[in-house]
Amino acid sequence: MDPLIITAILAFGAFAGLIGVMLGLGGGVFMIIFFILALNIPAHQAVALSLLAVIASSSMGGSVYVRDKMTNVKLAMVLETCTVTGAVLGVFLALAMPASYVQFILGVVLFYTSFMMLRGRRAVETPVVIKDRLTVSGEFYDDNRRQTVKYSAIRMKIGLFFSLIAGAISGIIGIGGGVIMVPIMNLLMKIPMKASAATSNFMVGVTAAASAFLYLNRGFVDLYMAVPSVLGIMIGAYIGTRLMVRAESAILRRMLSVVLVFFGIVLLLNAGGILVW
Amino acid sequence: MVDTEIILSWVLRIGVFASAIIMTVGLFVGANVILLGVFVLALTPFVRVLMASLCFLSQRNLVYFIIGLYVISVLVIGTLLSL
Repeated sequence: MDPLIITAILAFGAFAGLIGVMLGLGGGVFMIIFFILALNIPAHQAVALSLLAVIASSSMGGSVYVRDKMTNVKLAMVLETCTVTGAVLGVFLALAMPASYVQFILGVVLFYTSFMMLRGRRAVETPVVIKDRLTVSGEFYDDNRRQTVKYSAIRMKIGLFFSLIAGAISGIIGIGGGVIMVPIMNLLMKIPMKASAATSNFMVGVTAAASAFLYLNRGFVDLYMAVPSVLGIMIGAYIGTRLMVRAESAILRRMLSVVLVFFGIVLLLNAGGILVW
Repeated sequence: MVDTEIILSWVLRIGVFASAIIMTVGLFVGANVILLGVFVLALTPFVRVLMASLCFLSQRNLVYFIIGLYVISVLVIGTLLSL
């Protein structure tokens, strides 16, 4: 393969991994767009490569965030019951339903969540703390504010319901679903941005793994492209974890809303048949 | 008492580095070796969920043990059905 293409995949993978891990996204949507637009790879192959990339960034980012106790493992496990169920259903739904409908809906949802994130950007995050046996709580050390932040997840039932939907959408489109999980955790369940990002980052690998074998088994993975893509995203993901712990939450939220608008536009273009995968 | 976070962090780290090394070696050896690396990578989340579940069992936290078992079961069943 052309060394120029290998370098391009490595570099873009590093970019996707860096942004993805900082914001709790797997970076899958970035990779799909890159493979389709820049390298002109068929849709199924682009999705297959991106699912592997998501697993790579989730695992690399997770190994650091979990060790640094940024990730809420219990919350991740509870929400995963729904995202994984949704993802498996989604993989089968995808066969019966045109993906363009789903992309259109997700595009609109992303615009809305982006608006919500921008609106709340100036408000200082004031996490809720509930002392209750059934409530999942957690704490992490914010390097930027130099203090320990305690929080509880509120609206658990609604959160679980939306996680199921998020999982189904991920399974249908072939992404990890971080773009939906981070707003659910941060806006709806009132979990601080950094804990939301680290926990979502931990979860997206599992959602991606739920559909990865389908693509692997059908031979959609271009192995020689998978290597630079996976290595690039691992390097970017590692750097991303270091940047995230030091960053200010408000800046992460603003970055996320920009990324959500961008993805919203891409998904609507895709649903409209202008940019097809 | 086992520290769930440290164990899970190691599971992910081993999965990441093992797959990265195998895949890179595969570039020079052949596609089958790359495929092996891809499998190691794709299986990492499965092992992570299983280990999390076992950590909760060792802490006698049965609720989270069952939650973990459910997640791994759905993952495995979904994967088998898609083959």
